[in-house]
Amino acid sequence: MAAFSSADCSSYYSSSSPYTLAPVSRNGHYRIQFVKVSSLTNCPSQKVFSRLQTQNTSNSNVVGMRDVATIINPAERKTPVEKLRDGSLSATFSEERNDRLCFDSRKDESTVSITVVGASGDLAKKKIFPALFALYYEDCLPKHFTIYGYARSKMADEELRKTISKTLTCRIDKRENCSEKMEQFLKRCFYHSGQYDSLENFAELDKKLKEHEAGRISNRLLYLSIPPNIFIDAVRCASLSASSTNGWTLVIVEKPFGRDSESSAALTRGLKQYLNEDQIFRIDHYLGKELVENLSVLRFSNLVFEPLWSRQYIRNVQLIFSEDFGTEGRGGYFDNYGIIRDIMQNHLLQILALFAMETPVSCDAEDIRNEKVKVLRSMRPLRLEDVALGQYKSHTKGGITYPSYTDDKAVPNDSLTPTFAAAALFIDNARWDGVPFLMKAGKALHTRRAEIRVQFRHVPGNLYNRNIGTDLDQAANELVIKIQPDEAIYLKINNKVPGLGMRLDRSTLNLHYAARYSKEIPDAYERLLLDAIDGERRLFIRSDELDAAWALFTPLLKEIEEKKITPEYYPYGSRGPVGAHYLAARCNVRWGDLGLDL
Amino acid sequence: MAIRNLSPCSSSGTINLSPSVPHYGTPFSTKSVNFSSRDNSCRWVSHILSEFRSRKLIQLKSSNGHPLNAVSFKDDLPGSPIAKEHTMPQVEGSLPIAESVREQPTLSITIVGASGDLAKKKIFPALFALFYEDCLPENFTVFGYARTEMTDEQLRNMISETLTCRIDKRENCDEKMKEFLKRCFYQSGQYNSEEDFSELNRKLKEKEAGRLPNRLFYLSIPPNIFVDVVRCASLKASSKVGWTRVIVEKPFGRDSDSSRELTRCLKQYLHEDQIFRIDHYLGKELVENLSVLRFSNLVFEPLWSRNFIRNVQLIFSEDFGTEGRGGYFDSYGIIRDIMQNHLLQILALFAMETPVSLDAEDIRNEKVKVLRSMRPLQLEDVIVGQYKGHNKGAKSYPSYTDDPSVAKDSLTPTFAAAALFVNNARWDGVPFLMKAGKALHTKRGEIRVQFRHVPGNLYKTNFGTDLDKATNELVIRVQPDEALFLKINNKVPGLGMRLDRSDLNLLYKARYPREIPDAYERLLLDAIEGERRLFIRSDELDAAWALFTPLLKDLEQRKIAPELYPYGSRGPVGAHYLAAKYNVRWGDLSAEDS
Repeated sequence: MAAFSSADCSSYYSSSSPYTLAPVSRNGHYRIQFVKVSSLTNCPSQKVFSRLQTQNTSNSNVVGMRDVATIINPAERKTPVEKLRDGSLSATFSEERNDRLCFDSRKDESTVSITVVGASGDLAKKKIFPALFALYYEDCLPKHFTIYGYARSKMADEELRKTISKTLTCRIDKRENCSEKMEQFLKRCFYHSGQYDSLENFAELDKKLKEHEAGRISNRLLYLSIPPNIFIDAVRCASLSASSTNGWTLVIVEKPFGRDSESSAALTRGLKQYLNEDQIFRIDHYLGKELVENLSVLRFSNLVFEPLWSRQYIRNVQLIFSEDFGTEGRGGYFDNYGIIRDIMQNHLLQILALFAMETPVSCDAEDIRNEKVKVLRSMRPLRLEDVALGQYKSHTKGGITYPSYTDDKAVPNDSLTPTFAAAALFIDNARWDGVPFLMKAGKALHTRRAEIRVQFRHVPGNLYNRNIGTDLDQAANELVIKIQPDEAIYLKINNKVPGLGMRLDRSTLNLHYAARYSKEIPDAYERLLLDAIDGERRLFIRSDELDAAWALFTPLLKEIEEKKITPEYYPYGSRGPVGAHYLAARCNVRWGDLGLDL
Repeated sequence: MAIRNLSPCSSSGTINLSPSVPHYGTPFSTKSVNFSSRDNSCRWVSHILSEFRSRKLIQLKSSNGHPLNAVSFKDDLPGSPIAKEHTMPQVEGSLPIAESVREQPTLSITIVGASGDLAKKKIFPALFALFYEDCLPENFTVFGYARTEMTDEQLRNMISETLTCRIDKRENCDEKMKEFLKRCFYQSGQYNSEEDFSELNRKLKEKEAGRLPNRLFYLSIPPNIFVDVVRCASLKASSKVGWTRVIVEKPFGRDSDSSRELTRCLKQYLHEDQIFRIDHYLGKELVENLSVLRFSNLVFEPLWSRNFIRNVQLIFSEDFGTEGRGGYFDSYGIIRDIMQNHLLQILALFAMETPVSLDAEDIRNEKVKVLRSMRPLQLEDVIVGQYKGHNKGAKSYPSYTDDPSVAKDSLTPTFAAAALFVNNARWDGVPFLMKAGKALHTKRGEIRVQFRHVPGNLYKTNFGTDLDKATNELVIRVQPDEALFLKINNKVPGLGMRLDRSDLNLLYKARYPREIPDAYERLLLDAIEGERRLFIRSDELDAAWALFTPLLKDLEQRKIAPELYPYGSRGPVGAHYLAAKYNVRWGDLSAEDS
């Protein structure tokens, strides 16, 4: 296998050889490209800590490194034009941009402080700290970095370290020096307790951060791992009291981004009082999944797929998410949102947009997001008849009784919140007119799975139709992209069964990741955190995307609530309500994940 | 996994037959008499044969409205004995159903040249495998015919050594072998003696015991005695009421003229329909699968043209030389031995337009069209090579001319690479590269389809300047280790964005644990069933020779010296220059060697 290259279109470089570029200066503007690559090769993509700040000088530097030709294209790494706004923060902001763009030139003097707001929460412990550690382990974090936990509980630094060290496990293939690295990492972790709405407490945090930054350029990343109702308070306090004065300040927020168009718009408005759009990194961790990232690579770097990528050949697309467990006593948050808001409106819809978008002008974040917005805006808002809802009920299997959703103590007994939903969506543009995009998401199903299934049309005038029987659609090709677990890509093809005579069956052209790539696949949070540190926005959601996404789902969600639509009950651990099949049947589609051959 | 099968191809072909009375019209009655299924249900078929037959007859009559025997053959040769006899089965086919059921057919397979290598290594084992899998009719006899004096027992001893079962079929093997050997007999005789063939005829009749006789002759003999044998067999030992078919193996001449002459001579005694020209490459599993891939999947056909395919490579290599048996080879050379037949046949199958149906005539019509759209090879589109001696480790490998049966100054190519072009709307400008050689570093037969680069590739910075290095490639490995894989560009899992090529893979061994039948089994069975799809029609053969004859003449007249390459090497570098001329890179010799 040949690994060609290394340079990503956005901002990454990787190489097995350490190299350094001399600064290039031109016209008095400092256009310094300093490419730092660590001597370690275990971080597949070393970062280019450079932000080229040119406006239109096209000083592409072609750098030859061993067998890799890397083109540093300034256009590709230009940060979006900042909109200057009134207020002190904006002023700081534009200033800080400049510094950020070149912080490599003074790399040793710049620091990154990552503050995890809500450090005692589950997500922080299970995902954020481990992801940060993995990045550290792979030398993907800058030399000077500090990690702060911020939460209301009183805790010493030591206590925080103890708590997070329990979940800080290394990825499987990286056992070497793990405990040593862990110690080093924990030394960089600190804790500050405070209220989420207290300017004072954040001012204290700022003071502590400054201590650690020790006069270097300070870049600050805030990860809001807190309930949505205190987002704005935390952002207000952080931006007013604890944002960087000479570097950049970014804020990562997690879903939920509101619960409908209005509340989402209100949230965005609230955030934008204190932050520029550019500083808001809305995370959708599904976009950080390996195979979701690979989706665009598959389409756009292979000749064989793109010609097929339209209504002419694709009969339908299925986006499937299922969990094999229920809310398990923690349904309080979920009950207020439901599966449509929790999975469909964000994760599945984002994948759909990536799948269906036109070829972007480049791999730049803005170009990709522009195309995604176009897809979302070409879609019809969902109607009630395009959806099937379900809720799991209790089920006894082999002596074990599984609870119903409403058995969850945090859930009201008469809750109508769907724990399962299937929906048919349509994109009314030239490429996809008439092609159903089916989504399905559910909890407490028989399997844990996330996948994209592309079912192709039948072969027109199939010569072998006698061998296939009357239902040609059963013999149609299918491309399956399995996002989790067991990442894989396979294309189902019709094949002659070896032997005398002519019998056809379906076999697969298969790429099983575990067999092909021995390395552990990084967690989505690692990628997303790294991207945020790098200022790479490709995998984060822009506010117009968010608006468009809510516009599709809000009317449906309102109707479901107003009409008090009762979900169809399905047993815990089953394949979900049969309503999903009837929905598919209306679109003349068959779910690919529940067929005989998977 | 769902296995959809409904009817084996041969039968569906039969049902289709009536609407399009093809060129060399297959006598349907021949087919219906032999109608039999290919899978393990061979047996029951004979029981319900009458049912099928009657259905077909009805269909035939209703669809063209003519009496069955009104079908005329374009190439009819009245006056030749077998051609006359050949019309017999048609009459038989329209006999009242009850009668035809009563008359059980028998099959006699005569292997002419039974003591030869091919017979021992391929034909008898293939027949046994068919018998083992219950694919032969209930009543059958196998006769060996050769000049050597031998008893039946001696023949049985001789062939039993090579009669091994296929791996997954060990059960009852001995028992089955005994049963099979009991059906094998031997008749010695001269290849040009009508008397000896009369004697054979007498013995065959004995075994047939009054049943409806069908006779299949397999000519496993040198080409210079083809015509003699065909004459004697057709005059003295052909079936009077059933069918008589003759399988011939290459070489079919050595250029257009000699090939045409051979065909002319064969046709004095045989009808085109009775001649089964075998090209055993067409019986290979993945060659058969080629059409299935193209025509039963939506995802390949849209890509199957000059719009997306940059070039196609047909590669055949052996890792041994002539090994002391170069006598035959030396007068033919690799181009005649491999390219003009095996590789060209695969090319035609690959490049043909969608046929009207899977009927033999429809497929062969499309193949001929491809061959006729091709331009004859030019000397500059070919490079030839010959292996020389080579010492590796302590071992020394001989040169081609070290072979005692080869002339010392032989210029016969043992390696050749050629660029061919199909000048039609689908393939204009797409080079089809062929490469065949002996004594190379590996044993391999494969088809490689290299696609064009992605226009305006968004990820071009990940590929460096040479986008062509990152193109998709579909590889169909015919042998060994049958496999199908599509090379795609993929993101290397991990942080950052690195691309590499991985394969969407189908390795037959992993997916189909059953042993894949030998090509000869399939072809023999097809011949028995009268299925001509995988056999070469004479106009195909003419067209194939027309492409190569000028080149071969040129090579010989100009005494073009082949480029020497060491035994066990990757072949002469000239092949790379040839490829470079057409802006192609051989897929089998790249760094990622698979």
